[in-house]
Amino acid sequence: MKKKIFALFLIVALMVCMVPAAFAADDEITLDVIICQYGPNTNDWFLGKGMDGSNFVEKFEAANPGIKLNLDVVSWNDVYTEVDTRIANNNAPDILNIDVFANYANEGLLMPVKDYCPDDLFEDFFPSFIEQSVIDDTVWAVPDLASARALFYNVDILKEVGVEVPTTWAELQDVSQAIIDFYDGEIYPWGIDMTTDEGQAAFAYYTWGNGGGFVDEKGEWAVNSPENVEAIEYAISLIEDGYTNPNPATQTRYDLQDMFAAGKLAMLIAPNQLPTYVADKGGEINMATAGLPANEGKTSSSVGVMDRVMAFKDEAAPDQEARNEAIGKFLKFFYDPENYVGWVSMEGFLPAVNSAVEALVKADPSFEAWLDVLGGCQFYPAAKAEWDQVKQGVIAAEQNALTGADVQAELDALQAELTK
Amino acid sequence: MNTGLNRTKWEPYIWLLPSLLLISIFVVFPILIVFKLSFSEISKAGVIGGFVGFDNYVEAVHLPAFKTVMLNTLWWVLSVVVLSTVLGFIIAMVLNQKFRGRKIARSILVFPWATSLVIQASVWNYIIKYEYGNLNNVLLNLGIIQQAINWRSSYQIEFVWECWVGIFVTVPFVTFCVLSGLQSIDDSLYEAAIMDGAGFWDKLRHVTLPMVKPSLTVSTVLNIIYVFNSFPIVYTMTKGAPAHKTDTMITYLYMLSFYERKKGPATALSVIGFLILCLCAGIYMISVMRKEEQL
Repeated sequence: MKKKIFALFLIVALMVCMVPAAFAADDEITLDVIICQYGPNTNDWFLGKGMDGSNFVEKFEAANPGIKLNLDVVSWNDVYTEVDTRIANNNAPDILNIDVFANYANEGLLMPVKDYCPDDLFEDFFPSFIEQSVIDDTVWAVPDLASARALFYNVDILKEVGVEVPTTWAELQDVSQAIIDFYDGEIYPWGIDMTTDEGQAAFAYYTWGNGGGFVDEKGEWAVNSPENVEAIEYAISLIEDGYTNPNPATQTRYDLQDMFAAGKLAMLIAPNQLPTYVADKGGEINMATAGLPANEGKTSSSVGVMDRVMAFKDEAAPDQEARNEAIGKFLKFFYDPENYVGWVSMEGFLPAVNSAVEALVKADPSFEAWLDVLGGCQFYPAAKAEWDQVKQGVIAAEQNALTGADVQAELDALQAELTK
Repeated sequence: MNTGLNRTKWEPYIWLLPSLLLISIFVVFPILIVFKLSFSEISKAGVIGGFVGFDNYVEAVHLPAFKTVMLNTLWWVLSVVVLSTVLGFIIAMVLNQKFRGRKIARSILVFPWATSLVIQASVWNYIIKYEYGNLNNVLLNLGIIQQAINWRSSYQIEFVWECWVGIFVTVPFVTFCVLSGLQSIDDSLYEAAIMDGAGFWDKLRHVTLPMVKPSLTVSTVLNIIYVFNSFPIVYTMTKGAPAHKTDTMITYLYMLSFYERKKGPATALSVIGFLILCLCAGIYMISVMRKEEQL
């Protein structure tokens, strides 16, 4: 008898579970969305109570009946694993927020932006940002936000030592030596991060400041140019001369930011969110920003970092047009200044659309200066298919150079691998 | 009668069925998939293509870091397993003695084992930090050193630290395995040995070691598998930097797959690792079976 009651209970439970599916509208669309976790507030904003007591998903679904969001916030550590696994299982998300896009575009997994992005929204993006997501004259992704890197320095330390902020490599060496002499090595003059996570940024800082870079004027890979070799040798010499943090292969940007917040580091290249980071850590550092030092006679160039939003193809979707329209509505809602301004300012990033600028500058006038910096930034050549390989390759070259390898030989080997 | 016999014949298999099903779904099936992938072309984005024979294996063994990583893996497994076995054995001998607070000492020993490896590795990262690490602070405050020491001054030293953390978290497991063996030794054996004039070393060599040998075999073989497959310590402490010089096979294949996006060679490496572990497990099984036969 008990068994019969249990079986009946199971059947009823199963039927109850099926009710929502049975009553679901035939034309309802569910979008699988993956968003990267930018900071402690991301999850709360998208899924918790971080958007005026509600969240993005609830507000979007209320404003767009018939479209459901199956949204996951995934940490940067896991997002590549998750996305690649889903692609391997033919279960790619509909919308993905990540930094890279070239592999997905080259393998025919993405939809061109014009297929789903409303024209008025497309016109709203900064053109220089859109250019970073073009392959074969097709735009494959739109920028979601950006950050710009600048030289941050501890005003009090430089003042006490009696030196000006360096603008050239030679000045940087002189200032570093003066700081070492004054503090007897207790304070690191200069921060360098050549870790597996961000070593490509160090490569960009020094090579762009020496007229080199990842690619040549024609856009072809040129990682072993004489300018690049000289730049990396210079960066390594700073470490060997004791002007930097002692373990650049394992001390991440966050370690450097912690040292800066603790007054242990005088200068570092960091993103525009550094003041917020230092304040969150309880640091009270009198800091200021300047352009990155460049080699004598070379132009300094800021480094811009940008993430993207892209949409994957789904051949199995019953109504492609309706799906594209739903993705467009998602983007419209996300970039609506009423929502987007809160999102960008919450994590301290810079916007990717013109319509958000006015409100952001009004809320925080310091944004204006950063937007100027962003205008003159160079970006990583992420639109090239080999970017992952180059990124890890330059990091390996730097880390090998730290253990005594020849920079020229390391970069030659990488270039040979890229052009074979 | 016949029905009863049939039921007896099939009953064990029916009871085993749920476990076999779970093992098939969560262990055997993924292993077969990885074998298949290792012979397939896999794109950077993870799209699986056609059969490529042994190309992925050839590419994997020709990668510049392959030799370094294999050597590191050998050192990693040898140092962690051997030293944690020696230390665990000594600690087990101490904890087997009767002394005040023995239960508390045994409980404390569980902590490193019970804590997550990521937390352990992160804590050790803080302990040995040059700028404001606990180790430097303690030594400075005690006046043992006059200025902070960079405990991670080269990648060789960083690798030694990784091994040390591996040993630190593995010792409790060995200790408890050995302790269970020690507790099963009948006191009369020691009494007989004393009657024969045996000293401490004679008792250790001729009574203790032979009696705890089965426990040591189990802990050693399991440790070889656990340590070989250990990912969190190396990944948390160095991420293999600089340039894979502190990577072991497991962390390297992860970096290869998800950082460098060389998924084909990464799956080939994971199959190579699996085969190495099968060999170890095989040796273990053979040794256990031989012992059972001897008994």
